[in-house]
Amino acid sequence: MHELAIARDLLKTIERTLGSDQARVLRIDLSVGSASGIASESLRFVFGILAEGTRAEGAELSIATTPARGRCVGCGMLFEFEGMIGVCPGCGRLGGELLSGDEMALRAIEVADV
Amino acid sequence: MCDTCGCGTPSRRTIEVNERLLASNATAATHNRDHFAARQIFTINLMGAPGAGKTALLEATIRNWRDVSRVSVIEGDQATERDSARVRAAGATAYQVETGLGCHLDAAQIHRALHRMELARGDLLFIENVGNLVCPALFDLGERLRIVVTSPTEGVDKPLKYPPMFRAADIVALNKCDLLAHLTFPLDEWTDYVMATNPRALIVKTSAVSGFGIDRWLAEILQRRRAFLERHSE
Ligand SMILES: Nc1nc2c(ncn2[C@@H]2O[C@H](COP(=O)(O)OP(=O)(O)OP(=O)(O)O)[C@@H](O)[C@H]2O)c(=O)[nH]1
Ligand SMILES: [Mg+2]
Ligand SMILES: [Zn+2]
Repeated sequence: MHELAIARDLLKTIERTLGSDQARVLRIDLSVGSASGIASESLRFVFGILAEGTRAEGAELSIATTPARGRCVGCGMLFEFEGMIGVCPGCGRLGGELLSGDEMALRAIEVADV
Repeated sequence: MCDTCGCGTPSRRTIEVNERLLASNATAATHNRDHFAARQIFTINLMGAPGAGKTALLEATIRNWRDVSRVSVIEGDQATERDSARVRAAGATAYQVETGLGCHLDAAQIHRALHRMELARGDLLFIENVGNLVCPALFDLGERLRIVVTSPTEGVDKPLKYPPMFRAADIVALNKCDLLAHLTFPLDEWTDYVMATNPRALIVKTSAVSGFGIDRWLAEILQRRRAFLERHSE
């Protein structure tokens, strides 16, 4: 359950971003690469629990999945992975060198003043 | 409330953040890496499923490393000091981190361990991560080399089922090769799967029990440590 560590880190980042702002968090925009190994449902679940009693309690966790991209080591073609490992549409070879898609970032938070 | 029109809906605003998650772990890992570089401590993060033979390979390494340098080990397990006791018996100094609920080691735990251990300049430091093919892959500890230890009894498809772990590896050690004769484990197929997830991984075949491949294993570590020492000798 590395999602617990990620949720904890996320909450800390949100608290730091808000500082002394007395706002309530309505929505949290995350972008998560499809090859990152983050299970969105687990993250939502643990974040929901951790956020209880904080300014982010009840906030909607909106997770945009960014597709992983890689390069085929057979024919050199650049292509989008389906899931965590792709199949080269050029030559049919399984997998490839991952170029992007393992990142996870907090993009923005939407808040309402209380 | 919305001041402008008095419509009664709370005013919403968006705060742009654009920060990577686990940035605090990355910061702590960088700190550890600097610490290791300043003291010429070559650090290896050993990861892999429970029972793959991480500790067994460590024991073999420690016994063969006597003339090169001291070996220190940080052992991460959910509970018990058993692995620490094993590597101490083999001749290393060891520090046990019991992670409790944690399923992986993080850079802050390593940082705390560093303050409590007696590391000497030039030590070879192993971090044996919690046996787990998922979580440890996401946490940079500040190491120089990542080795995933796996074994044929785990089945041929593990690289496909746990891509982030195999992708994190600089070296994939296929341990327990003494068992290959007794198992249905198509080696070529497995190699293809490792290469499909991580084309830059180096595969090293070993047996901690028979000693097969241990010379090559030692040589690969030795070579990388030597390059590291050359880069960080002042
Ligand atoms: N046949 C054979 N057995 C091995 C080999 N290496 C380890 N074992 C056995 O596998 C079992 C697990 O080995 P460990 O070294 O404890 O494995 P580990 O990866 O450290 O396990 P955890 O720390 O619990 O995750 C032990 O019974 C070892 O004797 C090997 O190369 N060949
Ligand atoms: Mg062990
Ligand atoms: Zn191709």
